[in-house]
Amino acid sequence: MQTSELEQNRHAILPQPNHDELARQQFVRSFKEHLVAEVHPGNRLAYEHRVKPAFVKQHGREPDDRFEIRDVMTRDPHYRMFSALLRTSQEMMWSASQHPVQRELQALVEKAKSTPGAGGRLKLDPTLEIPRYHRAVDIHCQPGGYHTEVTADDVAPGAIYDRAVFIYAMGQMGPDNADMGGSTLAWIKANYPNLNPERILDMGCAVGHSTVPYAQGWPDAEVHAIDVAAPMLRYAHARAETLGAKIHFSQQNAEQTDFADGSFDLIVSHILLHETSEKAIRRIIAECHRLLRPGGLMVHAETPPYKSLEAFDAFMLDWDTRNNNEPYWGRAHDIDYVELSSRAGFDPQQVFEVMAPSAYQIAQARRSKVFQGGDFGGGGLWFLYGAEKQES
Amino acid sequence: MSEQPQLKRKAKGERPYFFEDAAVDKLLAMLMGLAGEVSVLRDRLDTVERLAEQNKLFTRAEIENYQPDEVALQERAARRALYLGEITRIIQAELEGMQDAGEVPYSQAVDLVTTEEQPV
Ligand SMILES: C[S@@+](CC[C@H](N)C(=O)[O-])C[C@H]1O[C@@H](n2cnc3c(N)ncnc32)[C@H](O)[C@@H]1O
Repeated sequence: MQTSELEQNRHAILPQPNHDELARQQFVRSFKEHLVAEVHPGNRLAYEHRVKPAFVKQHGREPDDRFEIRDVMTRDPHYRMFSALLRTSQEMMWSASQHPVQRELQALVEKAKSTPGAGGRLKLDPTLEIPRYHRAVDIHCQPGGYHTEVTADDVAPGAIYDRAVFIYAMGQMGPDNADMGGSTLAWIKANYPNLNPERILDMGCAVGHSTVPYAQGWPDAEVHAIDVAAPMLRYAHARAETLGAKIHFSQQNAEQTDFADGSFDLIVSHILLHETSEKAIRRIIAECHRLLRPGGLMVHAETPPYKSLEAFDAFMLDWDTRNNNEPYWGRAHDIDYVELSSRAGFDPQQVFEVMAPSAYQIAQARRSKVFQGGDFGGGGLWFLYGAEKQES
Repeated sequence: MSEQPQLKRKAKGERPYFFEDAAVDKLLAMLMGLAGEVSVLRDRLDTVERLAEQNKLFTRAEIENYQPDEVALQERAARRALYLGEITRIIQAELEGMQDAGEVPYSQAVDLVTTEEQPV
């Protein structure tokens, strides 16, 4: 296994870019790194240097919250330049990730069908409806979103996503994009040393970047992973089998699954909640409550809530809501987790909200240590929310 | 080629533009696209150099120490001049228009074909 963050681990079903396709992808990563290191900091500078003073002069006070900051910052020339470049980098990232997949599409589909066996199952449900919140816009600008299929047994959205996440995070989540799962797993092991789960569920697993660490971390556990998007699951299944991780994937909506009550000792999700909706999130947490055995644990990983950030940082982290097709991002960062959990049946006393350190230490020195749009994983910490289900 | 299934290229959702004139955003996107392609080319050249060295064709040190002769100097200078002329064409075109005594405002040309008799 490779230990550098410069390039992704080339597992067997990762699309193989040709020379120029790879160079194009690596350029996008460098472009994004340049934005984080050189252009992003200019936003705070512009804010302190001219935007805030102008606001104070006009109103006799500083801006109150991220909304007032947004009103004035969106007119600042540097912020506009930064935003135009960041949006462009996002579009270039998807485009550059698509090229090798478009070229190799049929071969990829075939390869995904015949992967060596770790013994995990794949169960698809062609009748499952894709939630409206995924049909309205293509989330974070991936053309076609997670679910669009252009050929039989399509795996393209998964193959594109696998590559794009590495570029998006600029390697900050490690060569297998596993940092969210790895960090959450490490935190759970440290804080619940006696958990030893027999059955684990990962909700909204995408291509299983975060699921694999659980299968490796608890090799005796039965690990299940669900997602609404079939092409993500086909790719996730092939990838997990290739990596020797036994995971049972099924196409299900986390709002309402077909697992029996009390099926799981541990339920996790990683950046799923902010891509749903106000209604869906309530149903998902209620479903977690139903699916956990008494004494079981749920943990959801996200980026930190705005209440924990100063107004300017909250404004910068909120960039994606308007500019990266993440319509629920902003609202999700203002969720009252205690209220959400107790309405779903959890004891409010049991609800925790913590910042867990990244388990991927190699990138630590290079991180900006800031939570901001376009710098995923740069904070070096993951926000974890969760609760134990009461023993009855 | 048979009809390959085509991936969707545009993400569903209205694209935000950040400058008053969206053309600025579009130019920036094109500029970064171009910068990307230059980078791709540079990486390809780097590969060629490394392979050449590995296969003992020539070394990168030889490239660094290469002294273009008179012919090469002239050819390169001519190619750069042409290259710059192509890129800055729009500026030249405007200047040429000013120099052309016969150039009339465009509206005048429109008026001409609508109101005046056409010369036979
Ligand atoms: C950002 S990705 C998750 C990343 C993944 N958990 C990881 O850590 O690599 C969001 C995923 O959630 C899925 N999803 C969204 N809403 C869902 C729902 N209601 N039920 C199940 N999956 C859902 C999407 O299809 C998508 O694959």
